[in-house]
Amino acid sequence: MQDDDAESRLERHALVVAVWLAAGAVAALLLLPGLGGAGIAWLAGGFAALLAGFAGHVLVNAILGTSFTPREVALALVLSLAALLALVLATLAVDGFARTLFLPLLAGAAALAAAVVFYLVTRHGPRRAFEVFDVIRDNNPRAASQLPHRGGRK
Amino acid sequence: MTALLLTLLVFLASLGVYIASLVARTGKAGDPRGFLDAGARLPGWAAIFAGGGVLLSGIDLPGHLALVGRYGLQAGHLALGLVPAVLALVLVQKRLWLAARIAGLSSPVEALAGYYESVTLRLFVLTVAVLFALPLAAGMLAGAAGLLSVLTDGVVPRGAAIWGFAFALFLPAVMGGWRAAVLVLAIEALLLATLLVATAGLAELLLPGPGFPQAALPVPEGTLADAIPGVAQYSAGIGKETAQGGIFTTLAILSDALALMGLTLSPGMLLLGMTTHGGRSLAFGSVWVMAGLVTGLLLALAPLIVARAGGGGLPVLVVALAGEDPLAGAALALVLLIAGLMATSFFVTSGTLLVVRDLVMPFILPNLSPRDVRLSARIALALAFLMLAMLATFSPLAAAVFRSLALPLSAQLFPALLGLAFLRWISRSAVLTGLVLGSLAVFMTEPPGLILFEGLFLDLPWGRWPLTIHSAGWGLALNLGAVLLVSIFTRKGDERLHRDRLHDAFATQARVNLGGSAARGAKWSLTLIWTFLALGPGAILGNSFFSQPIFAGGEAALGLPSLWVWQLFFWLLGIPLVWWLAYGAGLGLTAEAGLRRERWDVRAAPVPGWIAAALARVTGGCGRTSPKSGS
Repeated sequence: MQDDDAESRLERHALVVAVWLAAGAVAALLLLPGLGGAGIAWLAGGFAALLAGFAGHVLVNAILGTSFTPREVALALVLSLAALLALVLATLAVDGFARTLFLPLLAGAAALAAAVVFYLVTRHGPRRAFEVFDVIRDNNPRAASQLPHRGGRK
Repeated sequence: MTALLLTLLVFLASLGVYIASLVARTGKAGDPRGFLDAGARLPGWAAIFAGGGVLLSGIDLPGHLALVGRYGLQAGHLALGLVPAVLALVLVQKRLWLAARIAGLSSPVEALAGYYESVTLRLFVLTVAVLFALPLAAGMLAGAAGLLSVLTDGVVPRGAAIWGFAFALFLPAVMGGWRAAVLVLAIEALLLATLLVATAGLAELLLPGPGFPQAALPVPEGTLADAIPGVAQYSAGIGKETAQGGIFTTLAILSDALALMGLTLSPGMLLLGMTTHGGRSLAFGSVWVMAGLVTGLLLALAPLIVARAGGGGLPVLVVALAGEDPLAGAALALVLLIAGLMATSFFVTSGTLLVVRDLVMPFILPNLSPRDVRLSARIALALAFLMLAMLATFSPLAAAVFRSLALPLSAQLFPALLGLAFLRWISRSAVLTGLVLGSLAVFMTEPPGLILFEGLFLDLPWGRWPLTIHSAGWGLALNLGAVLLVSIFTRKGDERLHRDRLHDAFATQARVNLGGSAARGAKWSLTLIWTFLALGPGAILGNSFFSQPIFAGGEAALGLPSLWVWQLFFWLLGIPLVWWLAYGAGLGLTAEAGLRRERWDVRAAPVPGWIAAALARVTGGCGRTSPKSGS
């Protein structure tokens, strides 16, 4: 049984790798010329490829009846923060970057964030989507905080 | 671009090792089935992607593009032959899958040998598997290595590239066996398809000047770039006589589709289907990926890429694209390289594992423990990749000569597979007679037979593919004729009862619903009409059907070559045909639940004397064994 679970996890992992490898390759092919000044359309195409990768990942979860693993969430957060940091540093350090690329990149990042929020809301509903991040409530030691009519969810 | 390309290749190789290491860690320790056939529980998505990828790669994508560059759209038409090839796969795949579950005939070799109770058939299928695993794979490996050497301006020598590639392909297979090889292929297949579309689009966007169809295909003078050169040409064959306007007449295209059937019915592809978990993956993979995506990509993109490449060929296109965008150039180079390497990996791994499980285990080393079976498979894989690299490095000409036999000989298995799947009256004698005659016809219309016969005896009046008919066509014509004729006299032979038991099990456990007589008639007749118009003599209408409509009395300003539109039109019509069989008749739908394992007592025929004697010589009398089944 353990072997079966491990094999299922491995197969899902391989499928997720396949989806992101393809989407990431296309995104890289489109984003790099866009960052080199080829035009906003290239950047839009690159972000569309990333959105397609995210949609593919959600589809994998839906078909296999799984959800994002903690490692995947952690990797996504690290990459997003690194990209955001790079955007801020490039805006401060690279001449002309803020004028030509800041807004398109910010719009792309916003589109990705909106896609994630849309997924969370449609998957969990508005309240539970918020509760995913609501770690403060988990730290409330009072038993009353766990009652359903007081918003408890333990 | 060299550093970028090498980085990408190292990344892909590392990814393969990473996936294989995960498989090796999660596999059931000591279970040889987990290593040899993934426990017949490959995930459906992996079979879908890997099957499509192997088809795209097995058609030899760089070779196909070069052929389109040399002969134009008449060669591009060959890709349409994938539709009937996939139809043939759909016809037999589910029954083979069922035979594995119901009767325990768990590989194509075992299924055919066990069903027909024939050692000869077992050896024939294994020979075909070895032809795919060594000469065909070596040719593709040598082609990929040569391309890498050219693209890196000799920084990576051809020999080093061959050994590097072989080692990179060997590692996932030896670590994780069949499951790892298929998972890695599936990942690469999705990457290949995506990058193929992306780089073709980038070439159109980035490169200056017009592309196809404004720019003509760079065919040599005297070759028709956008037309089929006739229904047939009375040519003695390649090497003896030059066909006017090109060699791809409608008969050549039709018979080449039969050769492509050899690809879809190759032992490796059949093993992939048989070791896949039940579900809708066979149907989805056949209809939407193989007949849909792969065929469409080849038909639509090949002329675009070739026209952009011009007379200089694909390396020139890669360099030109890299000049505009290094990453795009490296991506196109990666597409061309992994297209060759995926088929190499698949055919070597599947062929070796088949030899181990269907020759070594039952005949030579029958008393191995599960752990030893896995060890012997790993040793066999090491030997196979070593021979592959040696063949590609030191004898590429021999590989090129013998690889020509792989597809047409594999296609000769079609009557035997049809017998196993549906036609219980096809007897062992009929199949063997057909195989002998068909193989002889293939051998004598391909380079190995021609070189051998003309070297030993006298010049033959025909060359390769006489009358512009592919050797697979000559072979199957003789093969089918012999099968029909011999079956008339032997259909009620002694072994009929044995064959009936499997067909009765099929009928009781998984009856195929082909519909009523009208629906059956429509399936046959529409398929024949489609084949006649898309690939057969009717395809000649495509030369001018859309540019000079028959009743218009003038020219239509279509802006596209009529033949290209004809190809795309019949590709779109071909998908519903495959869908009808795979989904409509349920030939692509499988379910593990509800299947009963039947007792399948194969009469234990003795090991043939010559095998026993050969084994006795090698092992000093210790190797005499009785086969596990079916010989």
